Amino acid sequence: MRGEVAIVGCGRTPYSRAKPGEPVLNVDEYIAWAAELALQQAGMSKNDFDGQGLGVSHAEVAHTVNWSAATAENLGISPQVLIRGDQGGASASSMLIRAAAMIHSGIVDRVLVVGADTPLNIPSVAPGLPLSPERTRGVYWDFQGPFGVMGATAQFAQVLTRYMHEHDLTHEQLGKIAVTNRFHASLHPGAIYRTPFTLEDYLSSRILSDPIRLLDCVPIVNGGLAYIVTSAKTARTLTDKPVYLRGFGESNNYYHGSRSLPDITTTGFSQAAPKAMAMAGVSHKDIQFLQPYDDYPFISMMTIEDYGFCKKGHGGRFVEEHDLRFDGDFPLSTDGGQLSGGQPGGANGGFMPLVEAVTQLRGEAGARQVKNAEIGASCGFGGIPYGRPGRSCISLIFGTEP
Amino acid sequence: MSDIANKPLPVITDLTRPFWTAAKNRKLVLQKCQRCEVFNFHPKPWCIECGSRELTWTDAKPTGTVYSFTISRTVAMNFPGWEKDLPVLLCLIDLDDGARMYAQVTDCSPEDIRIGMRVTVHFEDISDEAGIPKFRPT
Repeated sequence: MRGEVAIVGCGRTPYSRAKPGEPVLNVDEYIAWAAELALQQAGMSKNDFDGQGLGVSHAEVAHTVNWSAATAENLGISPQVLIRGDQGGASASSMLIRAAAMIHSGIVDRVLVVGADTPLNIPSVAPGLPLSPERTRGVYWDFQGPFGVMGATAQFAQVLTRYMHEHDLTHEQLGKIAVTNRFHASLHPGAIYRTPFTLEDYLSSRILSDPIRLLDCVPIVNGGLAYIVTSAKTARTLTDKPVYLRGFGESNNYYHGSRSLPDITTTGFSQAAPKAMAMAGVSHKDIQFLQPYDDYPFISMMTIEDYGFCKKGHGGRFVEEHDLRFDGDFPLSTDGGQLSGGQPGGANGGFMPLVEAVTQLRGEAGARQVKNAEIGASCGFGGIPYGRPGRSCISLIFGTEP
Repeated sequence: MSDIANKPLPVITDLTRPFWTAAKNRKLVLQKCQRCEVFNFHPKPWCIECGSRELTWTDAKPTGTVYSFTISRTVAMNFPGWEKDLPVLLCLIDLDDGARMYAQVTDCSPEDIRIGMRVTVHFEDISDEAGIPKFRPT
């Protein structure tokens, strides 16, 4: 399926931290806004998707049943095929794979994929972060909340503690990722936090849940994103800058070792990335940038390892030895990542690496443009299983040529 | 009681009741697969190793080893009742019967918690119906 589909347009709305006085948009409004931006970039209209495909990512904010069909109703689109993203931060990537398969099989020619959330509008008993009703029901919650698990930061902190026990990794190495993300955010007008900080600032930021500190943690925002994928043939009639999906790999509910007592320091990217690269026909040296699912620096570091850019356990050293800036030898999270850009809900931050990969390969990344970008990788990473790091790991390889 | 009320309580179902009731009675029980003998945790609809639905709540050894830990210094994505317990020493415990569990370690200073530390279960009541296992250094 290499190069059979291409992305022809993307949209990313401005984000909001829902400060007093800011307009409060709902999830439908953000979806429409993001879709409008993607349609404008592609030179298409909503009517082009009647009889075609619509993909809708999960939203944590209250929404009705039959969410993807309800979204079609709100947008006034009558699609033949609905795709519902239900893989958290891997949803944007998984819907691209589903859409590609639909296009490959000839069922549809094009799919509009949207995702938005307004987590800051969710009433919550929890201090600081929204705790939506859907997070506090079911066996998964009943065996964590009452036990004192404090959300993703505490869950990921356990993975990081274990990693640091097994491998060499310094806070300075993780800090370099955070500092570089913020530097990239300073070059991205849409990022929510744009003032650069230093390694010293990072190291002196307060610990929230050892060994994770404040500047390791993703800020939550309201916002929406969208993209349009078509057959390669249609893409070439729409744009002179189609961004081809060259390869994909997906791994769900990966266990490294036994299911009862797995090693939690290796993610499903160890399966997904080799598949994506084999399909794309590329090796590590061909990949000119990596857009990981960058909500915590150590997740980016583990992704680098599990993609095979270095040996397991050498991720910290790799980060130290490479220039992660857009003009360096290993450009990473060139949009500033979710870490400085903001995460529009647990399910929709996953659009950001994909949208940035496309933006880079269209040559439209402005002050943060990777020079002569032709091949790049992005990631989806969704959900936190009990006691482990990531439920869904998806690797995507994009290129300017099929 | 107000502090307890400000911490989340589980919704007890027929699937999970034996766990909460046992903890109330100061016992640790886990689902044991009658086919492959693997202990499953948290409660599952069938054995995640072999797929057998014959899971039987079984007394588990009260001991384990710290696989990983974090020291939560703020309350996040949980109820404000935890505030008075900060810092919360939250661990992944590898139970001697071969299942892994999130649990608080108590009676241990944050400076002393270590991966590999041997721990023993104790219990705390969280409602009239349920207790919860916690651990302390052996």
